[in-house]
Amino acid sequence: MARWGMVIDLEKCTGCQACTTACQMENSKLPGEMWQDVLFYNEGVYPSGKMTWLPRPCMHCENPSCVSVCPTGAAYKAENGAVLINWETCIGCKYCMIACPYGVRFWAEEKQKTQPDIRGVFPPIGDKVWDPPYKMPEHVQDPKRGVGIQPKNVVSKCTFCYHRVSKAPEGTVDLDPDNPATRDFTPACVVTCAPTARFFGDLDNPESQVRKLIAEKRGVRLLDQTGNRPQVYYLAGEAPAIPETRSVRKPTT
Amino acid sequence: MTTATYSDALARYFDFGKKPAAMDLALMVVGALSAAVGLGFVFYMLFTEGHAAFNTSSDMAWGVPIAFYLFFLLTSSGLSIIASLDSVFGLRVFYPIAKRAVFLSLLCLIVGFSLLALEIGRPFRMLLVLPFSFQIRSPMWWMGTFYSIDLVLLLIKFYLIHTGNWHSRFSHLVARLSFVICILAPGTLGLVFGMMAMRPAWFSNVMPMYFILTGFTTAVSFLLFFTSLLPRDEVKAPNINHLYREVLPRLFFIALLAVIGTRFGQIITGLWSNYEGMEANWLQLQSPFFWIEIVAGLALPTVLMAFDSINRLPMVQFVAASLFNIGIFFSRVELLIMGQKVPLFKGYWAGYVEYWPSATEWMLLPAGCGIFLLLYGGGNWLLRLSDTEVRSQR
Repeated sequence: MARWGMVIDLEKCTGCQACTTACQMENSKLPGEMWQDVLFYNEGVYPSGKMTWLPRPCMHCENPSCVSVCPTGAAYKAENGAVLINWETCIGCKYCMIACPYGVRFWAEEKQKTQPDIRGVFPPIGDKVWDPPYKMPEHVQDPKRGVGIQPKNVVSKCTFCYHRVSKAPEGTVDLDPDNPATRDFTPACVVTCAPTARFFGDLDNPESQVRKLIAEKRGVRLLDQTGNRPQVYYLAGEAPAIPETRSVRKPTT
Repeated sequence: MTTATYSDALARYFDFGKKPAAMDLALMVVGALSAAVGLGFVFYMLFTEGHAAFNTSSDMAWGVPIAFYLFFLLTSSGLSIIASLDSVFGLRVFYPIAKRAVFLSLLCLIVGFSLLALEIGRPFRMLLVLPFSFQIRSPMWWMGTFYSIDLVLLLIKFYLIHTGNWHSRFSHLVARLSFVICILAPGTLGLVFGMMAMRPAWFSNVMPMYFILTGFTTAVSFLLFFTSLLPRDEVKAPNINHLYREVLPRLFFIALLAVIGTRFGQIITGLWSNYEGMEANWLQLQSPFFWIEIVAGLALPTVLMAFDSINRLPMVQFVAASLFNIGIFFSRVELLIMGQKVPLFKGYWAGYVEYWPSATEWMLLPAGCGIFLLLYGGGNWLLRLSDTEVRSQR
């Protein structure tokens, strides 16, 4: 069984947010509830100021603190390396949201930042948060893995597009969107990335493209000191820097 | 069994024949009205808007409802510790307060759990899933387990005391077990926060001790508050008068000094550190909740309790206890906000997380306090809370 991981090349990423949009559409997410986001950082002022950005999915950590703190076992590490939530046993205590160092878990029961409240425009059916016009087919939805339209009062997060990736034939090493044989099994954010800044493959296979990129281009992980050991690696190259902090401190002038 | 026999059996446990004192009646009426208004509003909002009626969000996951929960659960543990001091350490001076402390502890636990049920996403699922999940790596699972055991032990303890069984081996065993659980439960609740290295403003091995200490102090203040409301003839006996008017105020004063010392250590460490996320300590200086804690919760009650000439007066005890309870409640709110103020990976553009509780969240206050006062008034009327063990009255 492959242990899937992602590599994001920051030298290629343009911060276009196509990945964010693709994720929203693929997973029927509410506006503002961005499992995949691009964060922006300012440093300095004119004429030497600069703006950097950082695409940020769930890190699907090897040693996820969100899983450790979950009192019901609803947050768990899947066999393919993804960190998932079982919506049928999540009690909505939100402790995992407290314990995730990357802020990638979401609570839909909040006041909407934009009006009109989209949940009123597309009112929910049954126990779901809403009934979006663009929704995942019913047979693909899998609440035990946090896939599909989210029920009320549970926490949600990126699934590494489990519903796609888990269908990949056994023995697949790289999920390459340019390869017609693997495109349908590749996460939506990787497929849609116009500058091809994202790579997805088996971290346990030394022949995989992700493994080679990590080795050759010095892949690094966010907040490695936490011990969570993310399965998402960044290639910083020479020019852009990975924001080493989560800080919102004002840039020094 | 006939209806008459049932009535006789019930009469052994409840003083139905007794008329409620004016204060008990007032507490029940105020409590019932307050609970009706609070719960009515909260339920209406939860049914119409769901948990979006709270101002919590993906960035501020825990808000005021959790502060209420902390307040009542920690106080409950403190009260239970006080109720066990006689059995565990032989401090016989605390016997006259033991029954009332156990009852208040039970009420705090019931109110705390009730407020949690209104906050948590899926409360009924929690009851079904949590007992069998055995997630031993989760501090929250341990906390739930300890507090559930605590509830059972408190019920047994109250039953034993209420039926006059103060000194059997079983009674002492329950008191000792309860004491241990009431150290473990708030300690684990402290770990729920203190273990979070990703939330530097909370990350501290002192947090369990701080929770136990503040829980104990609120417990003493609760006892002062409620004993100051008792009619004079109930506090005439020398041992009771000595406990209520001398021991408890001094204990409160010492506990306050300990809380101040711990808080000072926390604040000064937080302000000094420039580790990322610790800037929340500077931000809290701008929060009204912080200053309510410092001025109303710590400074004023300490001054009032520092002088023997005034700390014996029921009115002064009432005021000091009320001020401390208000202050410590807001300190719980501020603690929650501080740990989440600096967002996790949201970029520069997001700014610090802003949070002010919604009307629904504030209405949990009358709801929780109303339930508490209603049950306490009823208990004081029907359950002979001033009972004490016979030997201590010699």
